[in-house]
Amino acid sequence: MKKEWSPSYRLGKALSRVFKNKSGLMAFIGLAILVTYIIFAVFAPYIAPYDPTVKSGPAYSPPTKDHWFGTTNLGYDVLSRIIYGARIALLIAFLAVAVAAAIGIPLGLLSGYIGGTFDRILSMIMDAVYSFPGLVLAIAIAAVLGPGIINVALSIAVIYAPTYFRVIRNQVSSIKDDLFVEAARAIGARDRTILLKYILPNVLPSVIVVLSMNLADAIMTEAGLSFLGLGIAPPTPDWGYDLSNGQRFLLLNYWWMIIFPGMSIITVVLGFSLFSEGANEYLNPNVGETRR
Amino acid sequence: MAIPMFFILLLLIFFVLRILPGDPVMSMLGGKAPMSVIEQKRHELGYDKPILEQFFIYVGGLFRGDLGRSALTKHPIADEIGRKLPATIELTIFGFIIALAIGIFWGAEATRHHNEPVDVAGRFYAIFIYSVPVFWLGMLFQWLFGVQLRWLPIAGRISPLLRPEEITGLFLLDSLITWNIPAFKDALAHIILPGLALGMIISSIFLRMVRSNMVLMLSKDFVKAARARGIKERSIIYRHSLKNAFVPIMTVMGLQLALLMAGAVLTETTFSWPGIGSYLVEKIRYRDFPAVQGTIAIFALLVVVINILVDIINALVDPRVRY
Repeated sequence: MKKEWSPSYRLGKALSRVFKNKSGLMAFIGLAILVTYIIFAVFAPYIAPYDPTVKSGPAYSPPTKDHWFGTTNLGYDVLSRIIYGARIALLIAFLAVAVAAAIGIPLGLLSGYIGGTFDRILSMIMDAVYSFPGLVLAIAIAAVLGPGIINVALSIAVIYAPTYFRVIRNQVSSIKDDLFVEAARAIGARDRTILLKYILPNVLPSVIVVLSMNLADAIMTEAGLSFLGLGIAPPTPDWGYDLSNGQRFLLLNYWWMIIFPGMSIITVVLGFSLFSEGANEYLNPNVGETRR
Repeated sequence: MAIPMFFILLLLIFFVLRILPGDPVMSMLGGKAPMSVIEQKRHELGYDKPILEQFFIYVGGLFRGDLGRSALTKHPIADEIGRKLPATIELTIFGFIIALAIGIFWGAEATRHHNEPVDVAGRFYAIFIYSVPVFWLGMLFQWLFGVQLRWLPIAGRISPLLRPEEITGLFLLDSLITWNIPAFKDALAHIILPGLALGMIISSIFLRMVRSNMVLMLSKDFVKAARARGIKERSIIYRHSLKNAFVPIMTVMGLQLALLMAGAVLTETTFSWPGIGSYLVEKIRYRDFPAVQGTIAIFALLVVVINILVDIINALVDPRVRY
């Protein structure tokens, strides 16, 4: 067998190509962080040293050998709460982004394809939502719907749906008169077939980067909502809630109650942004400098 | 564009707060209230009228500056918000200036020293700070500068005894107008931490924005011409490129003001800053939905006004823009 065909050689080649440029490295670091947190979330009961909702030591203990990240005012282990907190953060973020994409993508397809007044009205509505401060809208919706995983995910989904709508709609309206679409129409394909089989596969890749970026924003928004007391009901471990709880004891200098939950939000959001940034520059090397 | 957008936003807010499955009256009174009490509350708030009529009553009131009365305090909501609004405006402007300063200078220097430490550090700063929740940064500052070093106050807007005579409601401005230096110092000490936290969070976007636009400008012919004439690099960056990059930067920055206001809600809550952000959170906590609706309508109004202002300023700065 020729050396070039061996799997390990090809893997090495591919990896060295990924690491040759900085964006590949960035995407890899981001992915590594994300995988770590996903493992935390999935295997939380096996990884966390204690039950996060049971008193497991003295209250207000600073970081010690038994409690690496200290304990809270109720004697909960901060490290265990962070590991379990990854569950809520990731679950809500993925749910919210999935719902947002499920609303935004079909509407964007239709709006771009049909055009005319329908398109103008829908675009205007989406632009209005898009321009509104997302967190404020999410606060309003979450306040009406009440606490709960699904409700929080829905309130976040509403503010990200327009992003998908805009990306998809603009692409659809620019390719809907391309030759391959006309050809499909000429051989008698129905609108449904054209949309799903011809246009959708062509516009979907552009969503990938948006998806990853939105996951970062969704985690941030969820943390904000639960910081304001609109997230999941305590004592379920949640980073945003833990931060607002920790703030009450800031004057007493119990720094470990805010530093560690904050760091976990930062690292997971950083993971998503690094990944999307790196992946974006890696996939479309030309647009790097002019983005944003 | 702006006016229909405002109506759509109003309609949306109305839809969210009145038609979504969660019943504001039920959640206001708690699940166990008897039917008659619920009916009476509904009537009191006008929630028993046809939904369209309710909307028109609401919009009509809005145009007369009437947002209805708070379900909790019974005060007119417009007055309550009017008292809180200057605090938010002051904080937002302060944060905006900090973000602008960091963004423009660091962004311009990063362009000038492309791929040198200042540029690389800028890119790292931008990615990192984008991942930091504003309330966490605020708490970090509170702990560091308030609890550990005891340099600055960590809550409120001003010490009660130093409150300046109110003219505009912006304490920094009022104390300067009346030349009340102790009040000015006190207000400044109070605004530094929340303003810095808010400004730093937004600065990452400004920094990237300035950098990418300036890099684009540097490849233009007029820069080449300026270099050929032997103009100093410093002047090329700050006078020639920055000026031309300003219109796209302005547009994005204006839109970021919406983000800044969302950040203000969290910052105000963190620092007990008495603006409309903490007002909104407080009203949600007490389930005072008329007040919540009013506050969000004001947010929508601010967004629309900012959009219009950005357009006008663009037209003034850049003679090529005409409407």
